Amino acid sequence: MQSNTSRSDWRFTVILAFTILLPCLYGFGGKFLEFIHIFRGNTDGMFAVTPIVNYLLASLGFFCMLAWATMRGMFHDIEAPKNTFWETEEWLDHRETETAR
Amino acid sequence: MTNESLTRDVPPNRDLIEERLVVWYFLASIAYLFISMFGGFVMAFQLIRHNPFNGIELLSPGRWRMIHTNAVAYGFIANAFLGNLHWIVPRLTLRPVLSRPLSYLIFGAWQIVVLSTAGGILLGEAQGLEWGETPVWIDPVAQLGLGLVAVNFMAPILKIKGPMYVTLWYFLAAFVWTFLTYAMGNFVPQYFVCGTSAGAVGGLFIHDLVGLFVTPLGWGSMYFFVPILLKKPIWSHGMSMVGFWGLAFFYPLQGIHHFLYTPIPMFLQYGAIVSTIAVEMVVLTVIVNFFGTLKGSSRALATNLPIRWFFTGMVFYAITCAQCALQTTLTFQALIHFTDWVVGHAHLVMFGVFGQWLLGIMTYLFPRLLKTEWASPKLCEWHFWLSAVGLFVMALDLTLAGLFQGWSWAALQPWDASVEISQPFWIVRIFAGIAMFTGQVLFCVNLWKTWQLSPLNVAAVFSGEPSGVSHRTV
Repeated sequence: MQSNTSRSDWRFTVILAFTILLPCLYGFGGKFLEFIHIFRGNTDGMFAVTPIVNYLLASLGFFCMLAWATMRGMFHDIEAPKNTFWETEEWLDHRETETAR
Repeated sequence: MTNESLTRDVPPNRDLIEERLVVWYFLASIAYLFISMFGGFVMAFQLIRHNPFNGIELLSPGRWRMIHTNAVAYGFIANAFLGNLHWIVPRLTLRPVLSRPLSYLIFGAWQIVVLSTAGGILLGEAQGLEWGETPVWIDPVAQLGLGLVAVNFMAPILKIKGPMYVTLWYFLAAFVWTFLTYAMGNFVPQYFVCGTSAGAVGGLFIHDLVGLFVTPLGWGSMYFFVPILLKKPIWSHGMSMVGFWGLAFFYPLQGIHHFLYTPIPMFLQYGAIVSTIAVEMVVLTVIVNFFGTLKGSSRALATNLPIRWFFTGMVFYAITCAQCALQTTLTFQALIHFTDWVVGHAHLVMFGVFGQWLLGIMTYLFPRLLKTEWASPKLCEWHFWLSAVGLFVMALDLTLAGLFQGWSWAALQPWDASVEISQPFWIVRIFAGIAMFTGQVLFCVNLWKTWQLSPLNVAAVFSGEPSGVSHRTV
């Protein structure tokens, strides 16, 4: 089966993903290390645990979902769903028009 | 799926979509929009010292300001999105929602939640949480309602085999996020943490309500309607995935940027700023994707009204995100905090973006639901221009007012001075509000006239006849 995703599309998506992810990982990593230092040396920083844990739990959930989706092949042919959706919608509209007649 | 298998496996449209419920949700949504606008006017007239209800406690502007915000979020936006979901999810999954009776139960329960919230606020029982003033005794019911919404819509989505379209990713996430966000905001500060920690959670709640409830439902809907109306698939599904997962990982930390300069540790404040910058880039991918789809079809902006609603909302979205980038810098935050800049920003997001999208969706769907064209396309145009221009003037006006207020405070002028310089801006705001209100009145007039032309029996839409699709006896 021919893939709906061209090589240039893939390259563009990957470059964009990394452009966003790498600086953010750097930023968040630094802030997280700061948090650990405060947590160890200063009890005043303790209250920050609630929002941080909230975030980490939510992110962990989404990380698991991302892993599950990848393993299920959801991103194998990443452009395919847009065509499937569009064709199905056309079919639904066509059927509706036919029924109305 | 081939056309043969689609014909064999997909239930007929009347069994797939409960169109009557979509109409009900849209009508409820419009009603709450008017209630919300009334609250906005009460507060606006109070600020220019012409409150017509002075001395009436139940109509006090402080209480109606909360009704204004809650009616928009939970009345107008939530109802419109729920109606929208009843249209989109079955069409995308080719399966009806889990249970129709459950759908009707949720509709009734949600109206009880919203009306109880309004009643509670009027009687002075608001919970001390911005955007979460729902009285504590209604919180568990709202939480249960959100759980049922998730179950009802997730059932058909989870039956899908193979790769999912981006809209469904957004919707799936929204069901989980909204449930968790509501629980976090309404229960954690109320019962489990206090002080600055509760403030930090409150900040997360305020922002997550926008970013994890309305944003995924809004963008998910745009990914559904824009390709249909432009008659071509979205420009890049891969890029839409970057947008979705970027939102998933970066949005939840942003809320603390509402609390810069507070006792919350700087690493958390900076963390929120980094997260905001990350989301700005994510937003850029989404906007590029939609304008990439529009490329070659830009004439649709002039000829297709729903498309114009949608892309106007996207332009407002880009403006709000640019504002966010400014707001999260510490120096700029020092200037605009507590000023009307923030009020302008909130209007730009809630009415300028999500309001425009939802009204655009209604403009597209009402003719399909009522099986007839709009009675007056001219009134549709007026609805659009009055809403869009009115909102733009209001947002611009409040943004400027905020800057003048901030500069007045920074110059250490007395508080009264900032109130005096705000008067012209607050008067302009009233006129902008009147324009927006007039737009909605024209929309309702047009809707009523359209309904008169519809082959559907008006009474059937409100009675027990299935789907309200019984035709008038001619």
